[in-house]
Amino acid sequence: MTAITATAGTPGTAPSGFARILRVVRLNLANPWTTVIMPWIVLGAIFVLSYGIWILVFLSVEPGGEAEAREGMQWSGASMWIFVYLLVVAVQTMNLTFPLALGYGSTRRDFYLGSAATFVVLSVMWALGLTILSAIESATDGWGIGGRMFTTIFFGGDSPVWQRLVICLCISLFFFFVGAAVASVYVRWRVLGMIVFFFLLGLALIGALALIFAVDGWPAVGDFFVTNQAFGVSLWMLVPTAVAGLAGYLMIRGATPR
Amino acid sequence: MDDSRPIFQQIAEQIENDIISGLLPEESQVPSTNEFAAFHRINPATAGKGVNLLVDTGVLYKKRGIGMFVAPGTRARLVAERRDQFRMQYVEPLLVEAEKLGITPEQLGSMIREAGR
Amino acid sequence: MSPVVEVRDLRKSFGKVRAVDGVSFTLEADRIYGLLGRNGAGKTTLMSLLTAQEFATSGTIELFGQSPVENARVLEQTAFIKENQKYPEDFRVKHLFRSAPWFFANWNAELAGSLAEDFRLPLDRRMKKLSRGQLSAAGVIVGLASRAPLTFFDEPYLGLDAVARQLFYDRLLADYAEHPRTIVLSTHLIDEVSTLLEHVILIDEGRILIDSDAEDLRGSAITVAGTASAVDDFTRNREVLHRDRLGGLATATLPALDAAGRKDAAAAGLELSPVSLQQLIVRTTTSGEDPS
Repeated sequence: MTAITATAGTPGTAPSGFARILRVVRLNLANPWTTVIMPWIVLGAIFVLSYGIWILVFLSVEPGGEAEAREGMQWSGASMWIFVYLLVVAVQTMNLTFPLALGYGSTRRDFYLGSAATFVVLSVMWALGLTILSAIESATDGWGIGGRMFTTIFFGGDSPVWQRLVICLCISLFFFFVGAAVASVYVRWRVLGMIVFFFLLGLALIGALALIFAVDGWPAVGDFFVTNQAFGVSLWMLVPTAVAGLAGYLMIRGATPR
Repeated sequence: MDDSRPIFQQIAEQIENDIISGLLPEESQVPSTNEFAAFHRINPATAGKGVNLLVDTGVLYKKRGIGMFVAPGTRARLVAERRDQFRMQYVEPLLVEAEKLGITPEQLGSMIREAGR
Repeated sequence: MSPVVEVRDLRKSFGKVRAVDGVSFTLEADRIYGLLGRNGAGKTTLMSLLTAQEFATSGTIELFGQSPVENARVLEQTAFIKENQKYPEDFRVKHLFRSAPWFFANWNAELAGSLAEDFRLPLDRRMKKLSRGQLSAAGVIVGLASRAPLTFFDEPYLGLDAVARQLFYDRLLADYAEHPRTIVLSTHLIDEVSTLLEHVILIDEGRILIDSDAEDLRGSAITVAGTASAVDDFTRNREVLHRDRLGGLATATLPALDAAGRKDAAAAGLELSPVSLQQLIVRTTTSGEDPS
């Protein structure tokens, strides 16, 4: 026999926790097409569509109504779709990388922390990207025709650039981690889990609405958004983000790949 | 390999056959356990068991760090053993059967000589 | 050396189905084990339990002396690509071979590369678009090149043609010879792999029927054939593993006979024939379906 390598009879020295988490990040990004490139293409498509709509809007407005149209632009929800897509990315990543990571000998803990780290990295990327786009949008007076996609009211409008960065970061984190939590429900309980989850979510929303109506709380809700502005609201979003992140972790710890 | 009896025995027999036929001369090196395993597509541990059986019976001996070699005087010994076996396995049943049919050893001898012509 | 795997009274139920039903065994270091059994016997579930992909209902599992559940130090030593392994969306073969080395300390890229060439695996193709055989080849390559101290192969030959299967067996033996490690090969086709195995564990309906060295099993049984009455007389006071009857003729598979037993059988006009490992296992797992 030639060169017999010493194979372990007892557990060897495992890589550090950091290394184990980092390699899950790399696994999630091993094929950047799905996790990184595709969402930007989707964003590009949304932008092109929006641009077409802006042109139609400005062509069709009566003379003198242009200011009103510009005013309306800041309520455009077009760019919100990209966050829905990010949620889908989070679900897909978690659901399909989980079985392979376990086959590679990862623990659920390392897989989840690695995926969470991936989402933080992606959120930073999106925050930077969207903030740069919003700066361009401001500088070019709405891409030359007064369109608004990255400086809408939801992104803090024309607030300082550092605030826009924080807002984008918080929104990205929120959608990624809600996606992670939804994926964890799916990975753990499959379709039945989804049904129960969305049923309970629906109940909770209806309950919340009913409560607001019951205590005549709409003015208070309105006040919340007015006083906090987009910046304050986005900071508040960190609370449900953290809850989703923790819930995802607790659920994935008991999940088994199918 | 025949899967109905232990493979290590078959490996040992095969090496013995090669020694008897002269394919493996005395003092020549026999293939390594892993070479046997790869050639016959068998588990190396099983091949090793076959080789070790021959070490135990003195057919092969180990040169430390080099490999396994055919022990001197092995061929003559194996041939003698096989002759004994031949007698037990073939000649004796042949005589028993011949006796049943009333064939004398002399007649049997001439039958064999004729068949071998 | 302490065993690599030690399992005691392991059970796993899915609802009312007992996939693994009270199983105890040990796996020693650096051996090739055959985990044999029919489809649905519980092989994949058992391997999933060992690698902590599934959680046991009861019983204990120790890998390298520790529980594998969420144990990075232990799971680090294992590789288990399932027969129906799922891969990330749009993953290509090259992504698989790019990511695997991050997880396996002993990964050998050269081996993976030459295997991919030998199996003619298209590196640029999506995992989703691979044929059954190519999927198996991809899993086999990860398992072999990982050189994980405890490597599982789950029905690795599915969809592979004869040439590719022989290639797998040859490369497995060659690499194992140079880098001994504990290998568990699950299969329901015993014929082709039986000579590779040092030890055999046969499970059926979640229970272990045989746990024995492969060499001890070879020649451990014998078949007697003759007229039904002669076979019945001969087997009256003997343990019978399996019976077959065709008109007035019958065969019975028994544990190996001693010299006296052989003589008795010959005297009763019965023909003796050896039983291969494959036949022995088929007969052990179908003994409940005695057609007589």
